[in-house]
Amino acid sequence: MEPEHATLEQYVDMPELLARVCEDRELLMELLQLFQESFPRLRDALQLAAESGDANQIEKAAHALKGMFAGLSMKQASQLAAQVELAARADDLPQVHETMAKLIREEAGLLVAVESFVAGSMT
Amino acid sequence: MKILIADDELVSLRMLERTLERDGYEVVAVEDGRTAAERLCDPHGPRLALLDWMMPQLDGPAVCRAVRRKRSQRHVYVVLLTSKSSKEDIVEGLESGADDYLIKPFDPGELKARLRTGLRILELEDHLLEAREDMRYKATHDSLTSLLNRGTILELLSGEMNRIHRRKSPIAIVLGDIDHFKLVNDTHGHVAGDEVLRETGRRLLASVRSYDFIGRYGGEEFLAVLTNCGMDAAMKRAEDIRKAIGGSPFLTSQNPVSVTMSLGVFAGDTADYRSLEEILCEVDSALYAAKSAGRNCCRLAVPSNPR
Repeated sequence: MEPEHATLEQYVDMPELLARVCEDRELLMELLQLFQESFPRLRDALQLAAESGDANQIEKAAHALKGMFAGLSMKQASQLAAQVELAARADDLPQVHETMAKLIREEAGLLVAVESFVAGSMT
Repeated sequence: MKILIADDELVSLRMLERTLERDGYEVVAVEDGRTAAERLCDPHGPRLALLDWMMPQLDGPAVCRAVRRKRSQRHVYVVLLTSKSSKEDIVEGLESGADDYLIKPFDPGELKARLRTGLRILELEDHLLEAREDMRYKATHDSLTSLLNRGTILELLSGEMNRIHRRKSPIAIVLGDIDHFKLVNDTHGHVAGDEVLRETGRRLLASVRSYDFIGRYGGEEFLAVLTNCGMDAAMKRAEDIRKAIGGSPFLTSQNPVSVTMSLGVFAGDTADYRSLEEILCEVDSALYAAKSAGRNCCRLAVPSNPR
């Protein structure tokens, strides 16, 4: 699936997320907008840590991303971030880079899906 | 109920905040561990907290340790809410002083149930502290007059004597006895007698300074400890008490009852005396002298055995 055709349901377990926000769609929109604002900072932090090769920083940045993804029921992204975190903890930098490549692809589609959903809900 | 939530990840923080507000909590949201610790260590701060593990400045377990070290008066119920999910993490989190541990992402039903558990524990603590305070009050106060009881007033007097002995400041002790109290009971009944004792307590309290101590010494005997009070001031205070008791009848549920009080006064430097018992003996003799002089008067103790 090309990212430009992505729907939120492909990346987010919507029934779980809606249950977590108690079906409050206004809150859901607010959280997705917060995600749009917060995500670039966390993604850049992971990118910078990966470039520096600092396993401790990679682990922390991946942990933060994992928490945000998990909170929003972004299952695949959360699992990939968890794998990066584990690889960093094991100081396995090749594995970190390999998993990060997958994560970056997942994130690209996820971002498009979120943007499309938020834009669609506003019109 | 006020609850503190701490998380540097804003999506989680907002989701938690809204979930808890919906459940009626008053939410205090912070984004770093140091602020969380400061708020929780404040004696008036929230007593319920949800903390993320990884936060800037102080992590969740460090916040728990800080809270357990600094705030002991009332328990703060702390739940660690984190995506760190290994057995080792859970053990480390609980060992740091957390009361409970929840794995992110949270389930709203489970979160509510866990917080209700916390609330139950805090309520239980409140009940226990109230019961302890109630027991402490009952153990130190006279149940009829609500004045300090004999044991407590003597303990306070002993402490005051040690203190003023160091500071060389004067102290006065006034022992008052209601005149012919048996007659009050016999004439107006024991209910009226009890009312007279209660009103006597009120009038005594109104006649002394806020930092003086008044206790019920015996049946119809009352002891006042007047700190930093010399002889002239002590005699004036005793006279004020005498007038406050005898100045107007006591309005009981039966009849107005006229009451008078005789008072013995000790005033001076306790360094001259060997023991509390000796001073009490002096003031008791002064009270006896007041009774012998016709009652409804004050007499100053004459040291019989100064050092």
